[in-house]
Order: sequence, then structure tokens, then C-alpha cells
Amino acid sequence: MEVENKQQVNRFTVPIGPQHPALKEPGHFLITVEGEIVTDATVRLGYAHRGIERAVEERSWVQSMYILERVCGICSHIHATAYALGVEKLAEVEVPPRAQAIRVLVAEMERIHSHLLWLGVAAHEAGFDTLFMYSWRDRETVMDLLEGLTGNRVNYSANVLGGVKCDVDEAQADAIRQGLEFLEERTHHYLNVVTTDALFLQRTRGVGTMTRTQAELLGATGPTARASGVKRDVRVDAPYAAYDDYPAHMVIETNGDLEARFVVRIKELFESYRIIREVLDTLPPGELTARMPRRVKAGETISRVEAPRGELFYFIKSNGTDQPERIRVRTPTICNMASVVRLAVGHQLADVPMILVGIDPCFSCNDRMVIVEGANAERRSWTWEDLRQYGIEHYHQQSA
Amino acid sequence: MESNTITSSLLNLLFFPGGLFLLLCGLAYEWADRKLLARLQNRYGPRWFQPLADTLKLLAKEEIVPDGVNATLFIGLPIVALASGLTAALYVPLVGFAPAHSFPGDLIVTLYLLSLLTLCMGLAGANTIDRFSLVGATRTLTQLFSYEAPFLLALLGPAIVAGSWQIGTIADYAAGRWLLVTQPLGFLAAVIGLMGKLELPPFDAPEAETEIVAGALTEYSGRGLALFRLGKGIELVIGLTLIAAFYLGGVTNPLLFFAKTLALLLVIVGLQSLLTRLRIDQTVGLWWRYGVLAVLVQWLAVILWPGGLV
Repeated sequence: MEVENKQQVNRFTVPIGPQHPALKEPGHFLITVEGEIVTDATVRLGYAHRGIERAVEERSWVQSMYILERVCGICSHIHATAYALGVEKLAEVEVPPRAQAIRVLVAEMERIHSHLLWLGVAAHEAGFDTLFMYSWRDRETVMDLLEGLTGNRVNYSANVLGGVKCDVDEAQADAIRQGLEFLEERTHHYLNVVTTDALFLQRTRGVGTMTRTQAELLGATGPTARASGVKRDVRVDAPYAAYDDYPAHMVIETNGDLEARFVVRIKELFESYRIIREVLDTLPPGELTARMPRRVKAGETISRVEAPRGELFYFIKSNGTDQPERIRVRTPTICNMASVVRLAVGHQLADVPMILVGIDPCFSCNDRMVIVEGANAERRSWTWEDLRQYGIEHYHQQSA
Repeated sequence: MESNTITSSLLNLLFFPGGLFLLLCGLAYEWADRKLLARLQNRYGPRWFQPLADTLKLLAKEEIVPDGVNATLFIGLPIVALASGLTAALYVPLVGFAPAHSFPGDLIVTLYLLSLLTLCMGLAGANTIDRFSLVGATRTLTQLFSYEAPFLLALLGPAIVAGSWQIGTIADYAAGRWLLVTQPLGFLAAVIGLMGKLELPPFDAPEAETEIVAGALTEYSGRGLALFRLGKGIELVIGLTLIAAFYLGGVTNPLLFFAKTLALLLVIVGLQSLLTRLRIDQTVGLWWRYGVLAVLVQWLAVILWPGGLV
């Protein structure tokens, strides 16, 4: 077998992915380096494409919920919420306020779980495994609370079309309050660590700095954008579910470096604790679900929510049957991905995993397929089986 | 008499305190390191036989020689690395016994034998065409050049006050005298230098898994990897022994040896759990900006007040 000697090539490239210890999911980053300095970076996504958008078109509105909950393993609730809110709008169903409040409750607990998970992963990329282990230990607290509330640790499945499945009683509320107390104390400690630990700051302060203009230009969203001073948070800009009654405050930092992203996410945890306590204290009484028709009125709508990683966008189109006509999902990772490739240039190779993780990427969420054909091409409809066959052939070709 | 010396030399070399015992000792210390670190990080950590089991398993496995390497070097480097570690052990007062061999100037030889191990790892990485290995090899060698001088100078501090460059003599001089008190900067440089030598966090940039997988040893599997790991275990024991013998009041009997080296290991584990990985440029900066300076100040103090400040 002929092997290319990389030392002879002028461009020295380091592949990060598709399989790499820094990545928990497949993605491919080709980093060109000169010594340790990154001179170019490209990204290739699509390794975890699962055909979800196509799959939901062949299932009923109710069944689609189960698939969409599994778009993301970390923020499954927010996907279900975005979908449910959109479909309820189309079907003109009024969801009881108690259900909306519980949606907010679970969403904020999910944000805590997601941000703590991110804190651990980011610390691991920086080579600070102690912080990684401790933040994940504390994350168990909120996972247990979610399990107590919904019965599941990961895909909570709290939503149904027209409301929620689970109720909160006094005992559960007390357990959550108690858990939050512990978490709040820990969070203060973590904020202290990431803003004062001298060695950790060497890896985060002034690294991967994204100015406000850059953030707006690159279309960054979520905590990544807020760390660069962009005031953008769907919970505040266009309150959904019960965020009208439980307003969220935006956490803004202006430095735009990795440290700012740490600070924004950790401070958002305090915001989540506050919202959860408010919800628990003033949970409106009433029903959990409203009656949902099997067929949804024809029409189209968009639904925007604030996932832990940023704005999550759903386009939903109904043709009046019991199956969706088209559902388009845009996850925050794809919006933030451009910033990684841009920011990595000029940094050390050692900073690349940190910069990548700084946006809290979630690869399998963002993988979509687009087929671009000439203007005159005949319009085709792909069945599930076609898509599956295409996938098999595509990867077969690649590995050959 | 003659055959007696040969027999005892062979015993020293192959079983105790060098050879087999040292290999097992290295594995035991590796376990202690991993277990303590795990406990500090709120994890359970490996069971006591895990390093031994890993090594046996690796030794039993096929060694894959990748395309594009010099096969002789690829197979030979781990052997040279382990051999240099085992040779270095002969000049060190292991388990509180006098060194098996000794001659004036053996301190320098020992230190260079230990560096040879790192050098072999660097060469092993540079020998392959794997990109992670190449970056890892560059970092390994860069790191070697940054901590090596301060580490060497730190161990020469006790040599100066003892007036000898022979490990046995220095150890005898240092026994009962806690040079840690009179040469704190040198001690600090030696401990941190040892961490750099062993590529322990925060000096694990050469094998930072989130950046370059396993660094220089990415392409190694089976026997080669096992030998390098054994070599590192030995390096850990020798390094701890040297520092304990020079700075911590000597290791004149087995009890003192284990107590002092394990206490030192605890300090190292504590540092590992507290610190964030340094980038390679930060490592170099740290050593040449502060490490060398600290050791030179220490030297100046030692030369001006040979009896120490106390």
C-alpha cells in the first residue's frame, strides 16, 4: 500500500475527527498547522445524519413527537416543546397554564443539566479533569430530580400535544428546592473557579475571542452570542410557553472569549434556579392537558424556543391530515459552527478543542441533508426507503 | 568470592532491587498514582492489579508495525527505553539499600539515562508518519528541552553541598539532613521537573488526548506500548527515590523509603488534580522564565551559604 508521507507535504494538516477523543460525536475538522499555530480550519458535518425530517413526514403528529424528542439527547425536552407549541398553534388548541408552567420548569432543569454537562466537557478539553468529574457528579442531582419528575433521566418525554404528562406535587417541589440549594452553592464555587484559577484562565482568557460584530456577522446564537455582547435570547425577545409569567433575564458578557462563555453559562444557571423556584412557588392550578384533534388544520407556522445552546427553530407545515406535511428543524449548533472555523485560525492547536467546545456543539442534532439539483431538474419525491438506500451507498462510496 | 559477587550482581540486576522487583514496584506506584488521583477526583479508580493486568494483556497482544516506519527503530526504541530505565536504577538507592553500582559522576549518567527514555519516546513518535505522533513527538522533545536543565540543576544543588557527584555519597550526606528546608526552591523545581519528565498533568500536553490522541505513542500497540509504560513506571520510582534521598532526609531503610516516596507521590497527585493542562508554549515559558531562575537563585544561595540559611 502506498502511504503518503505527511512530512514531505508543505501543508501539515491535523485531522480532528470523525473519530477523535476530543469529539463525543462524529464531525470532521481539518486543521492546517504551522508548528503549533493554526493557519486554516475547515469543517465537514453530516456523519450522524439520521433522516429525522423525512421520518416524521411518514408518521402521525403524535408519533412524530417521539422522534423529534430524540433529535438531541441532551435537550430533548426543548425539541418536543418547540414542536408541541407549533402544532398547538396550528391546531388552535389552548394549552392550560399549569402545563405551560411545567414545560418551563422542565426546560430550565434541562438547561441546568445541559450547562453542567458542558462545563465538565469544556474542563476536560482544557485538561482540568477534576472540574470535569465534580461538575458531572453535581449534574447527577438534577438528573435525579428530572427522573423523579418525569420518570426519565435523559429523554424525559414530559410533553404531549396539548399539554404535559407529569404533574408536580408538594413532595417533588420540595425535593427540587432542596436539590437547587445544593446546586446553587456548587455553582457559586464553579463560578469562582473559572474566574480565579490562574492556570485555567491561561487557557480561557483572551482565547477564541469573538467580537460583537463578528458574532452578528457569523450568525452566532445562544450563550456563545451572549458572551460576545449580542442581546439575543428567545425567552426574552419572544416569550413562549409560560415565559410571559416567569420572565427570564438575559446574561450578557462583552469580552467574547472562552472565559466569557464560561461565565455566561454559569450565570445562566443562577437564572434557571430563580425561574424554577418561581414556577414552583406560583404554579397555577388546573388541568394538565387540553384535548387535541387527531387531524391538524392545514397551514404552516414557525416555532422558536431557546434551547440550552441557543435558538431552536421549527418550521411546521400541515396539510390537514393526521401526518405533518413538512417539518424543518434548525438547531443552534449549525448557526455557531461557522464561528469555530473562523476563530481557530491564529490560535494554538491546543486551543482548537477548547474553541470547538466553547459553542457547546451537538453534532447529530445539526446534521441535515440538502440535495441541490439544477433548475431544470425534475421534481422528485424521496421515500424513506430511497433515503436509506442513498445513505448506504453514500457511505459505501466514501469508505471505498 | 568472585562467583559470589557475580551471583549477587545478577540478583541485583534481575530480581532485587533492580529488574523484576523494580518493574512490579513501578506498576504498584502507577496504581497508587491513578488510585489517589481518582479518589481526589471523586472517582473510584482502578483495582490494585489493573496496571499489571494492562501490561500482561499488552505484552500478549500482537504488535502492529504501521506502514511508513523504520521497523527496526519502531521495535527497538521501546527496548532501549526500558533498558535505559533499568540501567539507571542500578545507581539509585532503591528501597533504602546502597546503590548496586556506583562511581564518581554517576548522578549525571543516571539523569541522562532517564532522559534517554523520553528521547526514545520522542524518536518513536517522529519515526511514524502519523500526524498525531509527529505533533506529539515535537511536543515531547520541546518539553524535554524545557524541564531538563532546571531538573538537572535542581538535583545538582544537593550535589554541591555534599561535594560529590556520586549518588551514594550525596544520599549519605543528605541522610538526616532535610535539604528541603535549606533548598526549598530546588526541591520545588525537582518535584515539578519530575512531573514534566513523566508527562503528568499539568504537563501532559505531549499526550493531550483531546488534541492529539495519544501523542508520540499513538501508533504503538502491544509489546512496544507495554515496554514504554513499564519504562515510565520505573522512571516514576527512580525519580521519587532520587528526590526523597536528596531532599527529604534520605531513604536509609525500606520503611523510610516507602514512607517518603509515597508521601512525595501524594504531593504530586495533589498537584495533578489541582492544575489545568498547560499548553506547550506555556510549559516552555514556565520553565525558562521561572524554573531556571528559581534554581539559579537556589544555587547562588547554596554557594554563598554552603551550610544553608538555617
